[in-house]
Amino acid sequence: MDLIRDVLDKKLVDREDCPMGRVDGLVMQLGEHSQPRITHIEIGGQTLWMRLHPVFARLAVKLGRAWGPKRDGSVRIPWSRVITTGKQVKLDVEAKETGAIDWEIWIARHIIERIPGGGEEEEE
Amino acid sequence: MKKFMQIALGIVTSVGGFLEIGSVTTAAQAGATFGYKLLWAVLLGTICLIFLVEMSGRFSAVSKHTIVDATRERFGFPFFAIVLVGMVLVAFMVLVAELGGIGLSLQILTGLGFPWWAVPVSFVVWLLMWKGTFDLIENGVSLLGLVTICFVVAAVKLHPDWHAAAGGLLPSLEGDQKAKYGFIAVSILGASISPYLMYFYSSGAIEDKWDVSYIPINRVIAVFGMSFGGFLSMAVLITAALALKPYGIDIEKFEQAALLMTTALPKWGFFLFAVSMLFACLGAALEISLAISYFFAQGFGWNWSENLTPSKDSRFCLTYTIIILIAAVPLVFGIDPIKVTMISMALTAATLPLAIVPFLFLMNDPIYLGEHRNGWISNSVVAIIILISFVLAVISIPLQIIGG
Amino acid sequence: MEINVELLLGTKVRDVDGEEVGRIEEFRVERDDKSCVVEAYLIGASAVIQRLSAWTLVRPIERLLNTRKIYTVYRIPWEDMDLSDPTHPRLRTAKRDLRHAK
Repeated sequence: MDLIRDVLDKKLVDREDCPMGRVDGLVMQLGEHSQPRITHIEIGGQTLWMRLHPVFARLAVKLGRAWGPKRDGSVRIPWSRVITTGKQVKLDVEAKETGAIDWEIWIARHIIERIPGGGEEEEE
Repeated sequence: MKKFMQIALGIVTSVGGFLEIGSVTTAAQAGATFGYKLLWAVLLGTICLIFLVEMSGRFSAVSKHTIVDATRERFGFPFFAIVLVGMVLVAFMVLVAELGGIGLSLQILTGLGFPWWAVPVSFVVWLLMWKGTFDLIENGVSLLGLVTICFVVAAVKLHPDWHAAAGGLLPSLEGDQKAKYGFIAVSILGASISPYLMYFYSSGAIEDKWDVSYIPINRVIAVFGMSFGGFLSMAVLITAALALKPYGIDIEKFEQAALLMTTALPKWGFFLFAVSMLFACLGAALEISLAISYFFAQGFGWNWSENLTPSKDSRFCLTYTIIILIAAVPLVFGIDPIKVTMISMALTAATLPLAIVPFLFLMNDPIYLGEHRNGWISNSVVAIIILISFVLAVISIPLQIIGG
Repeated sequence: MEINVELLLGTKVRDVDGEEVGRIEEFRVERDDKSCVVEAYLIGASAVIQRLSAWTLVRPIERLLNTRKIYTVYRIPWEDMDLSDPTHPRLRTAKRDLRHAK
């Protein structure tokens, strides 16, 4: 398998096929004489914006601390939770419990649901 | 019967996406200044768009991914960020122009200046997105946009020399006013080959849950829908050539464009022009708002769908809320939507390579498309479009400065 | 030591003599039920073609230009890559000893 082509930036879904963002980063563990292992998938603005420039990552961290769910750093999910890869990456987790959709939930509760028509209604 | 209805609605929707303030303004300017001589630009833009739209629909129907999804996944986030900035900035300017177009139409109908309409119009656009479904936006507003057929009626009533008009379908080099000719040609192509249409169409295929069985329908919609839209643009150009050029009327203001209808339809022309532009710009404003929000949501992996209640895709809804809000601001301060239109058309042309070059790679990706990837004809057409887009990218800004 | 893979992407690699070899463009990994280990690194501009799944575009152009190969890509086994300084990866072998990847 090719990591960049087949995993990085792919859509992530949980065990119920609920979307939980994209693979923004991958953590590799290096040992002195051991084969490098991919240990975690990272999801989050800090990891994502770091790929452009550290300045953007620092801004993302500042925004995350000042506003929103006040999450410190990106979400890390152990590679052992990966069920399948392919057109998307399926994880053996529940999206809400990972923190990956904290921003989605926070914006829904604090902004969207306060606007008439934004809350829980019958879906079309 | 169901598939027939889908084709019919798809064609209507395609018309709504094609005809908007950019295509009407540029076509009207072309006709008013150069007669039939720029019909070839409308034809070329239409042909390019047919191919691009067909490919966008095919890509999403087969891969179950949108073009934005695939751009991020194949090219990585840093490249995606460049495309995001380029496409969103230009699309935002077009959104300002479309909201302004709705405001100008209401100005013609009511006499109240368009800055006063900026906030109510933006609110209505937002409300339709907030409460509406994809079907309502795609089909409902587009059906209203069928009133633009009045442009065809006007063109026919003015008894054009069809032979002379046919001559305009072949490119010619203008004698004098070369810079202006070049600028309007570039603007027509920028108005026709709008990347936001590709992104919207691709997302729409996912919203409508297209699969491989929709490939033939997609082809019919792309060909007939875009052709119909191009045909309407040509009707605007021909009408302007007959109604405005003989009197030397150059279109600097929106109200002048309304005159192109009054010669053929003295009683109803002004009203029909305003109503046509109102619905055409409304459809376009909704499509562009959705396209920009789709771009963010799909690129960053958020939930998205116009069919979900807002709390289920909160970041997607917050995005279109913010962009519509910000788009109203320049209009409140009285910035001329026509000027914004012309600049945004030139910038669209300048940023085309950013959208089309990655698209060529995606349409040849065997992992996404399998046996449905591009053949040599489609690839050749995309290669020609890329060439055109690079030429436009180089000349559009200088022409904007000299001839705009 | 932990490294973010996406930050290694595009980093220049030099061989044991300091000669520039290319940039890291892909990580070939072996996956089983619970783990994922890096088998090799792909270095060279043409590894990008692999990543973009663009061979269906490139091969017809090669045939048109009547060239056998217009690309270079090296497959570096994991044990031959020294990532102790992730910003300056180095090979443990010389460039002249490398073979082109298939």
